[in-house]
Amino acid sequence: MTGEDLRPQILVRDVTKSFSGRVVVDIDELVLGDVPVEGLLGPNGAGKTTLMRLIMHSIPLDGGTVTLSRPGQRDVLLSSTRTNQMAGLGVVKSTQVITDFEHLTILDSALLAVTEARYERPFSAAADRTVRKRHEDEIRHWLDYFGFDDPLAVALSGGDKKLLDIVRCLLLQPAVLLLDEPTAGLSEGHTERVKAAVRELASRGTSVVIVEHDLDVIWDLCDEVIFMAEGKVLLKDNPATIRANPTVVKSYLGAGSA
Amino acid sequence: MNLDWLDAFLIFGAFKVVEIMGLGLLVHLQLGLTRVANFGVVGFWGVGLYAFGVAYLKVDWPFGDVYQFLVCAAIATIVAAAAGLVVGWLISDLDDDGTLVGTLGFATIVVILATTQQGLTGGALGLGGLDFPYDFGRVKTHEFTWLLITTAVVALIFAYAWRVYRTPHGRLLIAVGSNEALARSLGKSATAARLRMMMVTSGAMGLLGAMHGVMVRSLEINSLDVSVTLAALAALILGGTARVFGAVVGVLLTVALFDIVIQFYIPIPDGWNTQALPVAREAVFGAAIVLMLIFRPQGLLGQMRRPALMRRLHGDW
Ligand SMILES: Nc1ncnc2c1ncn2[C@@H]1O[C@H](COP(=O)(O)OP(=O)(O)OP(=O)(O)O)[C@@H](O)[C@H]1O
Ligand SMILES: [Mg+2]
Repeated sequence: MTGEDLRPQILVRDVTKSFSGRVVVDIDELVLGDVPVEGLLGPNGAGKTTLMRLIMHSIPLDGGTVTLSRPGQRDVLLSSTRTNQMAGLGVVKSTQVITDFEHLTILDSALLAVTEARYERPFSAAADRTVRKRHEDEIRHWLDYFGFDDPLAVALSGGDKKLLDIVRCLLLQPAVLLLDEPTAGLSEGHTERVKAAVRELASRGTSVVIVEHDLDVIWDLCDEVIFMAEGKVLLKDNPATIRANPTVVKSYLGAGSA
Repeated sequence: MNLDWLDAFLIFGAFKVVEIMGLGLLVHLQLGLTRVANFGVVGFWGVGLYAFGVAYLKVDWPFGDVYQFLVCAAIATIVAAAAGLVVGWLISDLDDDGTLVGTLGFATIVVILATTQQGLTGGALGLGGLDFPYDFGRVKTHEFTWLLITTAVVALIFAYAWRVYRTPHGRLLIAVGSNEALARSLGKSATAARLRMMMVTSGAMGLLGAMHGVMVRSLEINSLDVSVTLAALAALILGGTARVFGAVVGVLLTVALFDIVIQFYIPIPDGWNTQALPVAREAVFGAAIVLMLIFRPQGLLGQMRRPALMRRLHGDW
């Protein structure tokens, strides 16, 4: 048993998406999750973010299907599942654009991610501390791990917001984790922490797909790399092969950067 | 109880203050916490008032005073909560403008229904015959007692709003209000959260409508006037939409100032009370909203202070 067949996978089939008549994503067939960590490369505007948003169904598909398969469980058609049900299925995505809840503190964000729906009803008698007690260990673990020294404050810097976004994703204990440029704007130290967290998560069975313009992160982390351009998947291979591919070098890496 | 010292109009003024405070607190939960801009406050309150009145007058209840009030008030609350659910659902996919039009439209529909369903509501003429659920002899005592009971209800509404901030429910509402897409990606059903909030707050608005019906002891079309919405919104915006005390402070500075201080303690010429003052009041409230939105949109009390509260709740983190 290699474990490869036992990973959660996402099958993208015949998926298309256009914005005002321009085709942005057009994929015949793509399987995500047959290796622990997959990289998604492509020049600006290639459709990477759009593909991830289509998987999350946070924007409607023009056509095609996205299916989630998890070992030992029935397949789920994500393309007819609501965005807010994705987290429950274990499909989680970080956002490329820095995003946060205005007014909420870092601890608020973490607690929000872990709180079960039954505690969130209007007349639920549960106090905040009840919920905190249930999840304190994991929250503390990730906040300490990324060096948040004042979780009772609001995240101010872009870097903190970016890390908080990742913390929220990790707290959801994803089966499939889509990371859209998770290390953009982070310090070297934090980038290393994110990478280590991804490795750790993948080793425990999560399928991670990572979009990143910092190629060192990709070569370092990924077991396989997908190369996209103009909405299409052009290549899917091991990092070394992708790195040497003339198309990739020409259209993406540019002279000298590989 | 000897209440000779107490002016009957003063009781009504105080009642209005308390009532608008209750509505302001509920609007705070909708607008300040969840960012649902409800411009149809009077509609939910009015649905409660009329549901209460019709249930009270048109049904032959087999029990008296207190139970009759409780049952009819429960009906009013449920009908208003249902209205909140339906309106909330209709506006759930709309933007702010759509929400404005939708809620305003709902309030208009309530007025139209109350006017046209003459058999039930008495139409434009209204209906008398509502009464206090107790009898101690003097009307003034009854009114004063009702003021105290209503104050207790509003105190409960305040306690609820105060507690919401300290629960996962409140956090969810803030999250949904401030970044719906992000909340959804964390597995939260923004729609369900908003609908639940709308049901609870609209139901409480309906209850306040029923309480109002008892105090004035009649159904009058004129009471469904936009000034109810305006008073609650003006108070909240002045005090601060994002603070629990916003509605309290705001109402003291608006309704209490006009309906108690100016009416009773400032010598103003005869006739002004009924003619000029109500008009001036609307104008000042409207102007207050506009000025606040331009110069201090967060209101007198300012922004939500989440870190301070979190420090109080989780200071040992
Ligand atoms: N909501 C939208 N409306 C219109 N066009 C859009 C929208 N979202 C994306 N696009 C366009 O679709 C194309 C693909 O965008 P996408 O964000 O998926 O690219 P990307 O591969 O993530 O690029 P980057 O590396 O810059 O993040 C771009 O040309 C973009 O301008
Ligand atoms: Mg992108």
